[in-house]
Amino acid sequence: MFGEQQRFVLLLIAPAALLMLLFQVVPIVIGANASFRDWTLYNPKKIWVGLAHYHSVITDPAFLYVVLPNTFIFMIVSVLGALVTGLALALLLNRPFRGQKIVQTILLVPLMVAPVVAAIMVRWIFNDQFGIANVVLETIGLEGQPWLVQRWSAFCIIVLTDIWLWTPWFTLLLLAGLQSLPKEPFEAAAIDGTSAWRVFRYLTLPMLRPVIVVCVVIRAIDAFRTFDIVWTLTSGGPGRSTELFSLYAYVLAFLNLDLGRGSAAAITGGLIILVLGVVMYRVVDRVARA
Amino acid sequence: MPMVTRPEFLPGLPNWSRKTFFALGLAAICFGFAFPVLWLILTSLRPESGIYYVHRGTEFTLGNFKEVLGQERIVEAFINSAVISTLATVFSLLVTVSSGYMLSRFTGPAARIWFGTIYVFRCVPYISWVLPLYFVVQSWGIYDTYVGLLLPHIAVHICFFSWLMKGFFDGIDPSMEYAAMIDGCSRWGAFIRVAIPSALPAISALAVLCWLFTWNEFLFALILTGNRVPVITVVMAQFVTEMGLHWNLMAATAVMALLPAFLIALFGQKYVIRGLRI
Repeated sequence: MFGEQQRFVLLLIAPAALLMLLFQVVPIVIGANASFRDWTLYNPKKIWVGLAHYHSVITDPAFLYVVLPNTFIFMIVSVLGALVTGLALALLLNRPFRGQKIVQTILLVPLMVAPVVAAIMVRWIFNDQFGIANVVLETIGLEGQPWLVQRWSAFCIIVLTDIWLWTPWFTLLLLAGLQSLPKEPFEAAAIDGTSAWRVFRYLTLPMLRPVIVVCVVIRAIDAFRTFDIVWTLTSGGPGRSTELFSLYAYVLAFLNLDLGRGSAAAITGGLIILVLGVVMYRVVDRVARA
Repeated sequence: MPMVTRPEFLPGLPNWSRKTFFALGLAAICFGFAFPVLWLILTSLRPESGIYYVHRGTEFTLGNFKEVLGQERIVEAFINSAVISTLATVFSLLVTVSSGYMLSRFTGPAARIWFGTIYVFRCVPYISWVLPLYFVVQSWGIYDTYVGLLLPHIAVHICFFSWLMKGFFDGIDPSMEYAAMIDGCSRWGAFIRVAIPSALPAISALAVLCWLFTWNEFLFALILTGNRVPVITVVMAQFVTEMGLHWNLMAATAVMALLPAFLIALFGQKYVIRGLRI
C-alpha cells in the first residue's frame, strides 16, 4: 500500500502521533463535548445545553474585565521585559572578559528554578511581616507594604517574577544566535569606526531578527497559559484580581466543580491563543523569508 | 590586514576606571539575579527562632534539612519526581528525535501536515486539555500512577522538542546519510548510525531541558496525581498553604528541589549553549 519511503516516514512519526492522539486530541474532544453539556463533577447529568456555557463565560464580567486584560497585560509586559533584559545580557556575554563563564552560569540560574520554587522565594521576600523587602523599606524610613494583597503590587510582582524566570531563556537563545552571526560585517564596521549603538541598530538587530521573532512567539504562547507562579504567589487574589486565564478555567472546573463551564472557558482561551498563534506564525514566516 | 578591535565600553574614561565600572556593573547584575536564590539558601540555614529576622543573627544550622528529610511524604515526592523526570526524558527523546528527523529530511504533504499539527498543538494551552485529561486517565485506571503522569509528560514535549530537533537536523548536512545509503545502509541504518551520532550534542541539550522541564512541571502533577504519587512541586505548593509559618522548612525543601536541577544544568550547560542554535 505504501512505498518504502512512505513507510519510513510514517514510522518515524507514528509513536509521537499516537501519544498526541491519546493524550491531547482525545482529551480536547472530550473537553469540547463537556463544554456543551451540563457537567458538574458532583452531578454529571451530561444534558446538552448548547452554547450556554460559552455565553456565560463570555458575558462574565470577571472574565471580560479582569481575566482577559490581566492575561494580555501579563503576556505583553513579561515577554517584552524578558526580551529586553535577555538581549542586553546576551550582548554582554557575547564580548569576552575575565570571569565570563562564571557570570554566564549565574545569569542562567533562574532557568533551573522551578516556577513553584521561584514563587515561594518571592512570597518569602515580599512577606508583609518578615520579608526582606519590607525590612529594607522600613530601615530606610519608608512604610512597608502588604505587597501580595494589593492588586497592582501583586500583579507587578507576578510579572517581575516571570521576567526573572524567563530572561535566561532569551539570553541563551539570543547568545547562541549572536555567536552564529557572520564576523565580517562587524569587522568592516569596526574598521570604519562605527559607533557601538549604530552597530547594534543596523547590524546586530536586523541579523538577529529571525531568532528574536521565534523566541518571542514561543514565549508569548507560553506566557498566555501561565499558571504555576500565579497559583503559588496569590492564587489569583486579592479577590480574583490577579487571575489569569488558566487559573480562571482551573477554578471553574476544580474548585467550583463545574467541568462544563470550565471546559468552555479553557476552550475559549484556547481559541484566542490559536488565532494569535496563527497570526504570529505568519509574521515569523514573513520575517524569516525577508 | 589591520588589527580589528571592538568598540570599547565607555570610551571616554581611562582604562582602569572603565574596568572598575564594568566589574562593579557586572557584580551588581549578578547579585540582582542570584539574590532570590541566595536569600532562599540563607533562610534554609537559619534555625526556626531566627527566620523571622533572617537578616540578623549569625546562628546557622542544618537542622531544617534533617527535619524535612525526616518527613516520609517529602522524601517520597523527591524520589517520584526524579524517577518520572528521568523516564520522561528517555522516552521523550526516543519519540521526538525521530519526529524531528522526519520534519527536517522530508518535504511533501506528510511533513507539512505533521508540522502544522505540531504547531497548532503547541499553541493549545495546557489547561484546555489537562482538565478533560483528568477524566481520560481516570477512566483508563491510570489516575495517580507513574504511567498516568509519565505519558502526558511525554506527549506535551512532542511539539516543542520536535520543532527544536528539526532545527538541529536542518543544521546537519544530509550528504553523509546519502553516502551511507549508497554504500548499502538502509534508511533506518542511515538514521540511527549516521544522523543520530552527529546530532548527539543537540540531543544532550534536549535531554537537559527535558529533565528540567519535567522536574519543574506543576499543573499536570497537580491535576493528574493525588496522594499515591506525590510530586515535589505539588507538595511544595501545598506546603505554602499548610505550613505557611514554617518558612525555614519551606526554604530547606525548596533548596533541595533546586539542587538536582542545578547539578544537571551545570553539567549540561555547555551542551545546551552549543545545541540551542535555532
